[in-house]
Amino acid sequence: MTLIFKQLFNFLKMLNSDTGHNQLAAGLACGLILGFAPFFSLQTVLVLALIFVFRIQMGAAFLAAFFFKFVAYLADPVTHELGKAVLENPSLRDLFVDMYNMPILPFTRFNNSIVMGSLVLSLILAPFMFFVFRALIIKYRILVVDRFKSTKAWKAFKATTIYNWYSKYDALYG
Amino acid sequence: MSDSRTTSTTEKPKKRKGPIRWEAIIPFTIIVILIGLYFKLFFDSHMRSLAEFVGYQATGAEVNVHQLETSFTNASIRIAGIEMTNPDKPTHNNLNIGEIRFSLLWDALLRMKFVINEAAIENISFDQPRKSKGKVKPPEPEKENALKQEAEKLKDEAIESAKTKYDDNVFGNIANMMTGSSESDEMKKLEGKLVSKEKMKAFETALKEKQKNWEERLKKLPKASEFQALGDRLKKVKSSGFNKPEEVQKSISEVQAIMAEGQKKIDEVNATKNDFDKDLKLTDEGLKDIRSQIEQDIKDLQSHFKIPKIDAKSIAMTLFKRYTNPYFAKINHYKALFYKYAPPNIVDKNDKPEVKIQPRVRENGTTYEFGKLNAYPTFWLKKALISSKLNSSDPNSKNGNLKGEINDITTNQLVTGKPTLASISGDFPSEKIEGIDFKLKFDNRTKDAIINTTFGVKSFGISAKEIMNTPDIAMSFASAIGGLRSDLELKNYKELSLKINNEFRDVDYQVTAKNKDVEGILVNVFKEARTTNMVAEGKGTLPQFDLDITSDLGERIQRGFEKEINAKIEELKKKIKDYVDAEINKQKEQIEKQVNELRSKAEGELKKVQEQAEAQKKLAENKINEAKSDIENRMNAEKAKAQAEANRRLKEEENKAKKAAEDEAKKQAEKLKKQLGF
Repeated sequence: MTLIFKQLFNFLKMLNSDTGHNQLAAGLACGLILGFAPFFSLQTVLVLALIFVFRIQMGAAFLAAFFFKFVAYLADPVTHELGKAVLENPSLRDLFVDMYNMPILPFTRFNNSIVMGSLVLSLILAPFMFFVFRALIIKYRILVVDRFKSTKAWKAFKATTIYNWYSKYDALYG
Repeated sequence: MSDSRTTSTTEKPKKRKGPIRWEAIIPFTIIVILIGLYFKLFFDSHMRSLAEFVGYQATGAEVNVHQLETSFTNASIRIAGIEMTNPDKPTHNNLNIGEIRFSLLWDALLRMKFVINEAAIENISFDQPRKSKGKVKPPEPEKENALKQEAEKLKDEAIESAKTKYDDNVFGNIANMMTGSSESDEMKKLEGKLVSKEKMKAFETALKEKQKNWEERLKKLPKASEFQALGDRLKKVKSSGFNKPEEVQKSISEVQAIMAEGQKKIDEVNATKNDFDKDLKLTDEGLKDIRSQIEQDIKDLQSHFKIPKIDAKSIAMTLFKRYTNPYFAKINHYKALFYKYAPPNIVDKNDKPEVKIQPRVRENGTTYEFGKLNAYPTFWLKKALISSKLNSSDPNSKNGNLKGEINDITTNQLVTGKPTLASISGDFPSEKIEGIDFKLKFDNRTKDAIINTTFGVKSFGISAKEIMNTPDIAMSFASAIGGLRSDLELKNYKELSLKINNEFRDVDYQVTAKNKDVEGILVNVFKEARTTNMVAEGKGTLPQFDLDITSDLGERIQRGFEKEINAKIEELKKKIKDYVDAEINKQKEQIEKQVNELRSKAEGELKKVQEQAEAQKKLAENKINEAKSDIENRMNAEKAKAQAEANRRLKEEENKAKKAAEDEAKKQAEKLKKQLGF
């Protein structure tokens, strides 16, 4: 739990800093896939491994996963129909029969209509959303963060001892 | 000041981090090692505790598991020393299993399928004493869920039904009949209790009241003289020889007024008739009710005097009730457990869940199985071996020699192409049980899932088995050899049919009865019945299921008693009937007579009045028709006359015009001749 909270604070800190917009956008895009995938599935493990091994912002991923879980819940009827259409496609039948009887692949639970529909939808959306999130983060930094930093109140707060102590602590322990 | 401080601090330039999180490798490795250590050191003992806890909750008594070992690399599990306490007898176990072991196929596991090549269940024994008394779960407090209540209710109902349905003390009643007693005094005491007598009294009072009412209503009906008066008035109305149209109009109006008056009287008579019919119907129903009450009173008297039913079925039921009750109680216990835990799609659970606010359940979607022949189904236990071997070194050992095999338990029989088959055979020499043979076939490949089982025991010893113990009679099998064969078929997990055939050979009976005649008859019957049987048969849709018991012993006893007792039974039945007839029939006949009188009188009166009314109505209609035809005749004659006059005038006019035209033509011709000079 502490780890998750730490990651969320890091996400907020990074969002308000000048760097790491790619890490944040990648985290949010991975969170989208996590949100649409069932918890116990191979794709969840793979995305978590990606987040863990590569420097993708974990806080952003978890936050996005939490948010997109609700979106996926509302989109269930749509994803069910989409998944059904894919799974019942006669031209893909042989492929699915092979996949179903292959090692490892059944752990994706692709043979469920909602899982298949969600997977297809999240894989299509993820690359687009990466660029959308990236653009939004940059915009946010210019429109909100820079303006806030130039306010007198922020400058006055920055001059206080408390802030100095905080920045010292942050520099030492991160 | 702060700025100068920050600028004076010499900050080392931060090393730029690469895209891979190398620093996370060590914590990850530590976590993996910790998980591995948990599974190696603690997982097995935790699983063992969990199995014991779940077993205790499910069976309601202590369950012990002595050893549980799992292996990740072999995907195997081994459970040794399972003891399931008997909740009714905690010093003993219901079931002991020496060892259960099986391993899953990694090849299938990687495909998310569970395939067991071979499983083994060894050293099974029943009713073994425990080292220490097992813990029994205390009964749950009153706050039970609807489902459990339903299951308990079913169990209680079945037990109660078994207890009461054939609880009539057949032999006690037979003994009483044979002893004989004075019934006439008893009957006198019951006189006031005859419900039909009371009913008839009330009915008679109501009937008298009705008779009075009807007489009054009949008096108020229109009299014959009134209809006659209407007829006389009608006759006076002119119906022919009209001189003016006004006369016709007047006659018709008069007839219509008389007819309206007559119709009013007819309506009155009809309404009275309808009311009478309704009342008569109610009276008939009342009579019918009295008749059925008399029948019921006869039946009640018969049961009061405990007239026994000398039929083979009742005797068989009474005889084997004690013998079968413990088995039925067990069957009902498992039936209740099945009902409690079976999924709702298999068992129709009628409990209504309480309505509460809850979020929409997330859709499950549709899961497709892309199976193919000879592939793995989701679960497949290819072969399970069951064995129990007699411990020859221990003479008190209750273990037996059991050997069995279960093949092809699977979630999809269409993929494996094989039905589930099981067979167990063996014997328990210490218990004198020989030739146990159990076979099961579960076929889910067709439209209707069918489970077929046969269970047979070639022979088992019976000693001092009490079959009846009442104040009048005590009866038991002193010794016997039993044999059993049962066939069970369950269709679609709901429609159950079961037949159990129990044979008893070399039976030694022990009979004692208060009444020596009864004892003599029974001893004679049993002397001939060294071999007997008991057949329990039932069919039903779960969870409703009842067994019917028959036995040739019942028939033999029936024959034995029939001669002795039937005459006495008939005598008592006749006495009761005579008594009822004497007390009630006279009154009944009186009532019926009264009803018939009322019916004939009122019906005759009404019919007479109705006929008169109809006759006058017909007369009025004739009058109107007569007047109408007279008018029509006259009108036709006038019409013809007018037509002839019109024709004559037309001809005259034509001739006149013709002559004028001819004159004019001649005149013109003359004029023309003059002009032309002819």
